[in-house]
Amino acid sequence: MPDDRPLSDVKILDLMWVMAGPASTRILADYGATVVRIESPNRIDTARTLQPYLGNKLGSDSSGLFANCNAGKLGITLDLGNPAARAVIFDLVKWADVVTESFSPKAMRAWGFDYDQLRQVKPDIIMLSSCLMGQTGPIAKIAGYGNMAAAISGFHNLTGWPDRPPAGPFGAYTDYISPRFSAMAILAALDYRRRTGEGQYIDQSQSECSLHFLGPAILDYTVNGRVRVRAGNTDHAFAPHGVYPVAGEDKWIAIVCRTDDDWRRFCAAVGRDELTADSRYASIPSRLEHRETLDAVISEWSRTLEGLEIEHILQSRGIAAHRVQNSSDAYRDPQFLYREHFVDLNHPTLGTFMLEGPRAKLSRTPALVRRAAPFLGQDNQYVLAEILGYDEDKITELVSSGVLG
Amino acid sequence: MLKPYRVLDLSTERGLLCAQCLGDMGADVVKIEPPGGCDARKIAPFYNDDPHPDRSLYWWAYNRNKRSTTLNLDCQEGQVILRQLVRRADFLIESFNPGHLANRRLGFTDLSTVNPALIYVSITGFGQNGPKASYADSDLVIMAAGGPLILGGDADRAPVRLSVPQAYLHASADAAVAALAALHERCRSGLGQHIDVAAVQSVALATQAYILAEPLGSPEARRMSGGMKIGPLEIPFVWPAKDGFVVLAFLFGSAIGVFTRRFMHYLHEQGFCDEATGNKDWIKYGEMLSSGAEPLSEFERIKEIVRNFTRHHTKAHLLELAVERGFLMTPVTTIDEVVNSQQLTARDYFQRVEHPELNASFRYPGPFVKFSAAPIQYRYRPPTVGEHNQEIYCGELGMSNHELTKLSQNGIV
Repeated sequence: MPDDRPLSDVKILDLMWVMAGPASTRILADYGATVVRIESPNRIDTARTLQPYLGNKLGSDSSGLFANCNAGKLGITLDLGNPAARAVIFDLVKWADVVTESFSPKAMRAWGFDYDQLRQVKPDIIMLSSCLMGQTGPIAKIAGYGNMAAAISGFHNLTGWPDRPPAGPFGAYTDYISPRFSAMAILAALDYRRRTGEGQYIDQSQSECSLHFLGPAILDYTVNGRVRVRAGNTDHAFAPHGVYPVAGEDKWIAIVCRTDDDWRRFCAAVGRDELTADSRYASIPSRLEHRETLDAVISEWSRTLEGLEIEHILQSRGIAAHRVQNSSDAYRDPQFLYREHFVDLNHPTLGTFMLEGPRAKLSRTPALVRRAAPFLGQDNQYVLAEILGYDEDKITELVSSGVLG
Repeated sequence: MLKPYRVLDLSTERGLLCAQCLGDMGADVVKIEPPGGCDARKIAPFYNDDPHPDRSLYWWAYNRNKRSTTLNLDCQEGQVILRQLVRRADFLIESFNPGHLANRRLGFTDLSTVNPALIYVSITGFGQNGPKASYADSDLVIMAAGGPLILGGDADRAPVRLSVPQAYLHASADAAVAALAALHERCRSGLGQHIDVAAVQSVALATQAYILAEPLGSPEARRMSGGMKIGPLEIPFVWPAKDGFVVLAFLFGSAIGVFTRRFMHYLHEQGFCDEATGNKDWIKYGEMLSSGAEPLSEFERIKEIVRNFTRHHTKAHLLELAVERGFLMTPVTTIDEVVNSQQLTARDYFQRVEHPELNASFRYPGPFVKFSAAPIQYRYRPPTVGEHNQEIYCGELGMSNHELTKLSQNGIV
């Protein structure tokens, strides 16, 4: 089938694992890049072990996280520590435009696959290394996950209630930020290579790129010397601004009045017009000052109603509000459905596997996720025979060397 | 890296990071603001707490490497000038409510007639179409709709967001990737296209695939302060240290369990637990807990042992241990600790940016990646309102000073 997706001519050798790395090449695969993902036959990708699982059952392919990060890619197994891997990797490097890896620094050098060696094989190769803290510096070699990069980058301390220990954002927060920066860096480097003929090496610290999501708080310190702390759901510019209980167990609604006009319409919507005359609530600064009594008034109103009902009452009056959705809500949310956020893919061994679809809508050459994430070694034969053109003898030799697992 | 390309940045708070990413990578970004300045200039905090439109630190954080012009898009003269600028632009980034620009005949179809190669990027809360496209939005509301909010915070209180707004940053970063994918395609076809990014979809990535729990037939995750609740299992990530907190991935299974085993052996070595405890099967420990082979009360005892250990040491010492011994542990840092960290200092991360209008210079978060071929440079500090009107309108569009003055008097620039 002809492929007119934007990156249909781009070839990526992907040695990344867990979430931050694979989530970036997933984006590029959605846009049409051919991504050959290397997995170790000995050391399982952590993402394969993480929940949620299809059918709530742990299996080597049942992780929704792994499936979500690796859909659309070709998967081969290769033991990078086995000397027989060297020739295969070099052949794949010759085939590829881009090589990506997310091991802790020095792993690639130890295997003999660092940039200086790869560019001997292919001078204009683009290589991106992504790790928690970057390739250099006193703690460069720290291994770990996005939870750790988020904590050391200030995200945990800025999430939660001022009177409680930091709650932290959910999960491996920098793993949700850094994939976009990896992908845009790779695409910019491809354009640069197209114009100049030059490849390059890209050193990505997941911590450093993620710090841009705390930009205003960082400048508040470097400029004003002020150290921001976690503030629950309070916003310095808006009130009301909060998450309020609605009918049902652990059901909530987020409500934000952005202006005084929003506030007046809000009072009308909840049938409490008299509040607009209350001097405690006359302006944003005074509402912020009295936010506890204000939040109590709103909670008293909200807790008897359904979240969806409140959402409709407020949104029909132009007030920012949305029920707080869990997976069950989001899966049935009309906007998510309209945007085709959830896509059904056919997994070769597990049947139907539902994943998140591509995010941005391109009008002329849309992104598309074409296949489920590969099971371990699913595409060994295809990659070796069709992409690298190895003959049967050579493939048999590789199999018997044990390098494929 | 992207030197040949011109970006027109019409975006508001929702899209500022997108054009900044392109500008950081060398693109020529022209910010187009309404006369008086973009609303994002009103967002706190401010330099010296002075709410001046050129002193918003929110503005500073997301508008470097851009030049600023002002233009009133609500009147016909302004629209004509924008069309002139579009002729030689490669990207246009906008984040108005859906239909806002189309109503001014500046929608994608209008402008692609002027310049068929234009890549037109729209960033909104809920997307350009669909039942909620016209919903009023905000950071908190997007986080609520998109899935991450319910997962964050203390179990006995309302879900809680990150105290620094995030939603539109996720969307803007997605938009920058999409814009460059469209640029790559344009080299083949010569044609631009429209890109429609909905923040609500972008932030769903921050559920770590838990937005799929229902369709996969898996239980929803339940929020737990500093950790995560899976079924009856409470797994902390945040642990107390002598002088604050650390994050420790105390997890099991064939991948992460290896680290836990190493960590527990060390705790035994240091006398924090007996040998049998240190030598438990940390690979299979999760399965033992879920099958009931290991009672939850025993897991509680183990967590107390770990807590005793972390509480005994400073954050700095625990970080040192993690680096030396390969433990999955980092300190929970405050913003001042981040800015003053040895790691970021050693990598020369923070960039000093001159603000001649204030006779001062300030440290900004540095390049988001290190490119070996054409490194990111901070060429322009965030512009003051309309700072480059003359440069663009007279220097580029060939207006006379007199014409520019007249446009300014008529409220067009």
